Amino acid sequence: MKKHPTIAIYSGVSISTTFIERLIEGLVEAGTHIYIFGSDSGKSMKHNNLHYVIHGKKWHKLFILIKYTILLFLFKPREKKMLDAIIDEKYTNKLLWQLKFYPVLYHQPDIFHIQWAKGLDDWIWVQDFSMKLVLSLRGAHINYSPIADSKLAAMYKKNFPKVDAFHAVSKAIAEEATKYGAPLERIKIVKSGLSARDYPFVLKTAVLEGTLNILSVGRNHWIKNYSLALDVMSVLKSKNIDFHYSIIGMDDNEGLLFQREQLQLKENVSFIKTLPFNEVQIAIKSADVLLLPSLKEGIANVVLESMMLGTLVISSDCGGMAEAIKPSQTGYLVPIRDIEAMACAIEEVIELPLEAYQKMIMNARTSIEKQHSTEGMITDMLDLYHEITVDNL
Amino acid sequence: MKIGLILPSGPGYTETFFRSKIEGLQKTGHQVIIFCTNNPENFNDCPVILLPKKSHSIVWQVFYMMLEYLKLLPYFKTIIHYVLLERQDGTTWSRIFKRIYNNAPMFKHELDWLHFGFGTLVMDCQNVAAASNTKMAVSFRGFDIGVYPIKHPNCYLKLWDKVSKIHVISDDIAQLVYDQGFKGQVPMVKITPAINTSYFLAPEQKNESDLLKIVTVARLHWKKGLDYTLQALSKLKKEGVLFEYTIIGEGFEEEALRFAVYQLGLKEQVVFKGKLDPKDVKKELVKSHVYLQYSVQEGFCNAVLEAQAMGLLCIVSDAEGLAENILDGQTGWVIPMRQPDLLASKIKDTLSLSKTEKQQIRDAAKFRVQQHFNIEKQQIEFIEFYKE
Repeated sequence: MKKHPTIAIYSGVSISTTFIERLIEGLVEAGTHIYIFGSDSGKSMKHNNLHYVIHGKKWHKLFILIKYTILLFLFKPREKKMLDAIIDEKYTNKLLWQLKFYPVLYHQPDIFHIQWAKGLDDWIWVQDFSMKLVLSLRGAHINYSPIADSKLAAMYKKNFPKVDAFHAVSKAIAEEATKYGAPLERIKIVKSGLSARDYPFVLKTAVLEGTLNILSVGRNHWIKNYSLALDVMSVLKSKNIDFHYSIIGMDDNEGLLFQREQLQLKENVSFIKTLPFNEVQIAIKSADVLLLPSLKEGIANVVLESMMLGTLVISSDCGGMAEAIKPSQTGYLVPIRDIEAMACAIEEVIELPLEAYQKMIMNARTSIEKQHSTEGMITDMLDLYHEITVDNL
Repeated sequence: MKIGLILPSGPGYTETFFRSKIEGLQKTGHQVIIFCTNNPENFNDCPVILLPKKSHSIVWQVFYMMLEYLKLLPYFKTIIHYVLLERQDGTTWSRIFKRIYNNAPMFKHELDWLHFGFGTLVMDCQNVAAASNTKMAVSFRGFDIGVYPIKHPNCYLKLWDKVSKIHVISDDIAQLVYDQGFKGQVPMVKITPAINTSYFLAPEQKNESDLLKIVTVARLHWKKGLDYTLQALSKLKKEGVLFEYTIIGEGFEEEALRFAVYQLGLKEQVVFKGKLDPKDVKKELVKSHVYLQYSVQEGFCNAVLEAQAMGLLCIVSDAEGLAENILDGQTGWVIPMRQPDLLASKIKDTLSLSKTEKQQIRDAAKFRVQQHFNIEKQQIEFIEFYKE
């Protein structure tokens, strides 16, 4: 059996997003030793291969700091000295960074895999201690933050060429990263994995009867472009279409509340607070259409989930969405920021015969099962890790 | 007459509205006192009294409250009156104690008028004026009556029976007051905003250049409709129109707007200038030809008045007071909001106007602003407001 490298999956906290947690679970089950560093936000699972080196509040922080200071002093004094020099040069709040860095240096995994690019500059040092640096290219950190923040863009341009390997969730986000100097040959596209067991497919037998139930799920953020979705709903209303639109994950956005009022959509649009995973699944299953009006996405997980669960998707053609949806075969894609096109797509869905709707959602399920299996994701990630550590193991 | 003016903070250098109002009242012998939570620019044209601060520590907060209550002992009668009024409204005891602390300085002054500069400021103070036997005025300017009640339905219902006089800045705002349940119980007076027309004075001849220069002065906020504006400009670019668009202002939407500029391919055309002082705003207006204010919500908008005074062709949305600020087809153009295609066509139409036609619009706009939106007129209107 191939020996796997030891890997630190770093997102700053001990429990991360569903997809990162799924990656961790798959890796430990494949026999990889995984380290989780950062602050304690709970533990999502127990496994012999999973090692949490996390810190809690005040006193626990102090305990961890003292413990690793002593361990490094006793067993890795030369490395400690080198790291201290780096900390001294770069940071004023030295204790904070010692707390973050010392446990990583002591355990020294083969690979340090950062999930969020904005923190990259703080972790470049791991390469000086024979650890390989992997960066996941995800959402906001690549898609729009560096566009508005020139300092962040400069940091990426400085550090991306140094990263040993990149994990991209879509081709689109990989291309976006190359704008900041990420060498294309070091980027591996590993699509997010969904387990068929977690997403039971239900073939809808009666849809599009009565009120059309449209749903969006996503955080309260401008990149989701819900403002456009409300403009679309206004067009539908002006055409006397019977619909109800719900947004889950958004219940306190002043601008959208105002827009709903101004466009007289109070009866047609509901804003629902963030719901737990199982309740979101129920909502997706009972919707006729899942709408993604986003301006940019790496690849929207909610779309993949909806395609798995059997609800037709209409998405803006942003980021990696075209890699998940084949227009008119597995869902609908419309140009970004195009109110008329999105309204037309909804009207087209209303006109779909049941058989056509069913065929499309079955195609969607098959397509996602094929492209986004958990097994595929784990195999591809292990390949990525092995490729960069082949000389060290 | 002694007038207490309640504001969120002491008027800043650019807040002509309150500065000129205060100046006008003082010139005619009235005394003005400002009550606010902070005074970052150290405004000192009149006494500024800071409202009590809230401490993060419960112990300190209790201490501060006790101290404030002790200081209120000489005004015991007023406080008792206040408590009775609050109890009549069904206010809980804990809330009453908090309100007494928060509004303490207002109880200590004998005033003829207590004027809340924005509707949202009156929420926890509706009985303060009555307790002190003072008349209460409330100004409604846009957000406070157009947006705030959406999240807080019926929030002003009790106010209409307590206020002595209402000030609004436009007819549309007046309508919104009625929409919130006001039934004409007390006089409502419209006093529009005003600008310093001798400062914002158009050059004799507007500089015409090949490159169309468009400008907007606005906070980077969703209500300003800048996303729709950028979409319109993207359309204009696709149609081959050459232009430069300057946005003056800062705010929370900056990231979204910069991304829109990038995604719509407008990086070469759009410049974000950040917040500028009036001198630099004026310089930008001198350089520009067309002013856009495609807001989705707007009380009146001083920036549009300044742009007209500076001889710019103004295109605005029909959000609330803007349709009153600009007379459609006479002093500029008013087009329906949230429709970027219409905005793009209107900009194109404007370009195709003859020099004379453009000049006629500019002249009419300048004349109207000078006649109807000057500070002197506004000052007289406010003196009248308190007199009646």
